[in-house]
Amino acid sequence: MGIITILWEKWVEFRRDFYKITLAAMIAPLMYLIVFGMGIQTTSHGQPYLNFLIPGVVSLTTMNGSFNAIAQNLNVQRLYEKAFDQVMISPTPLWQFIAGQIIGGSLRGLYAGGIILLLTAPIETGLIFNGWSFLVMFLNGAVFSAVGVVVSFLAKNHADVPRFSNYIIMPMAYLCNTFFSTEKLPGFVGKFVAALPLSQTSHLMRSISSGEAVNYTGIGILLLYLLVFTVAASWFIYKKKNL
Amino acid sequence: MIETRDLTKTFDNFTAVDSLNLKIEKGEFFGLLGPNGAGKTTTISLLSTLLLPTKGEILIDGQQLTRKRPDLKRKISVITQEYSMRQDMNMDEIMEYQGRLYFMPRKQIKERTEELLEFCDLLKFRKRTVRKLSGGMKRKLMVCRALLTDPEILLLDEPTAGMDALSRRQMWNLLRKLNEKNLTILLTTHYMEEAQSLCNRVALMDHGKLEEVSTPSALIESLGAYAVDEMTADGTQNHYFHTRQDAIRYLEGLTGQASLRETTLEDVFVERAGKHLNTK
Repeated sequence: MGIITILWEKWVEFRRDFYKITLAAMIAPLMYLIVFGMGIQTTSHGQPYLNFLIPGVVSLTTMNGSFNAIAQNLNVQRLYEKAFDQVMISPTPLWQFIAGQIIGGSLRGLYAGGIILLLTAPIETGLIFNGWSFLVMFLNGAVFSAVGVVVSFLAKNHADVPRFSNYIIMPMAYLCNTFFSTEKLPGFVGKFVAALPLSQTSHLMRSISSGEAVNYTGIGILLLYLLVFTVAASWFIYKKKNL
Repeated sequence: MIETRDLTKTFDNFTAVDSLNLKIEKGEFFGLLGPNGAGKTTTISLLSTLLLPTKGEILIDGQQLTRKRPDLKRKISVITQEYSMRQDMNMDEIMEYQGRLYFMPRKQIKERTEELLEFCDLLKFRKRTVRKLSGGMKRKLMVCRALLTDPEILLLDEPTAGMDALSRRQMWNLLRKLNEKNLTILLTTHYMEEAQSLCNRVALMDHGKLEEVSTPSALIESLGAYAVDEMTADGTQNHYFHTRQDAIRYLEGLTGQASLRETTLEDVFVERAGKHLNTK
């Protein structure tokens, strides 16, 4: 199965860069938690702000972990190392390559998010993280891995992926229900931002962690995003004339 | 075995490959020659499905090659002009990745890797990452990787570029041995000596078009099997003759410095490229 081959490749990469990957996954989220959650101590919705912040930071960490693991890596393989050429000519079905990238990226996101959960576990917040939380983290990772595949295929040079990160991923990280509720954003902007996948993930993570019933609509929206970006990635790999 | 029908590839307004019709038989060693920008690498990229044709089709054993045909892709291995490998993987990992992409059993991957790395004298460097290998070692590793999967068709895009003379000869011997085992080889090269020494047939390409397909000896014969190089104030002038007697007769009539030799494929290429191909 080609998916296993791609996961093996991701595993080789993870094993070799274990410390780098782990540290990179920890630093920014830890800063957010320390500065916003512990340094500037406030309350939100009548609860300590940390309770609001942790699910948001876990969501954005999952997003960053997955997107970065796929977009930059695939971009380098395609444009710089040309290692992607070998995949294209190999008999591994290309849909399996895409699926492997998405699953591999999700696992990396899950790993990054899991680290934050572990680091915040000693803080007594009363937040609940269960199987649903991990499912949402995995789905969020899958969506942003698929986005990563599409972006890496769209990129025309090495700078395009960081550029996309700066213009799309970073604003999402701050605005999508992570540090504050999208309800505070004005009118149409608020509605638009609330519909974005990271906002859905943050909302789901927050509701699950506070013991509320799982919002299946949110999961459905994430699945829809995943479908759209997977179809886009498949279109590129099968139909784009100059990969 | 490999057939291209009206194969065309355009990039915006530039036609890189223009209605290419080519037939390469099973077990043939076929060379694709042409000046820079002739469309050789684009042709290889089309054959390896990296690029999709704007028009026309590629047939492998009579069946159309597309990105959705793993059964046909299974038959092909490519050695690209650039070192197309993960820079952060070591040799063993590169080979295992390739084997896995071709669905080879782990045991077979290990055995073949051992065999091929040993053959190419790379065994002692197997744990070294690609980033730390010399250019020649990377080339050899690419050959090992391409052969790991026992392909029926080998596409080689400038396989000896950057290799020293000794390594190049070793590579030639290896390619000859592979071709003797009925492996179909399509080679693009800038080294005419390489094409002359290895290929059963060669095709001359220019501006994306196929100009001529023949055997190296027939191409040489068409120009004249003997060459007289005459040194003049403007540089070296080459004159070609079909018989040795004609060449000697011409040589005897010259007053300046001149020499007689056998015509090579490079002469044919230079003549065609300089006087015919580029003037189109």
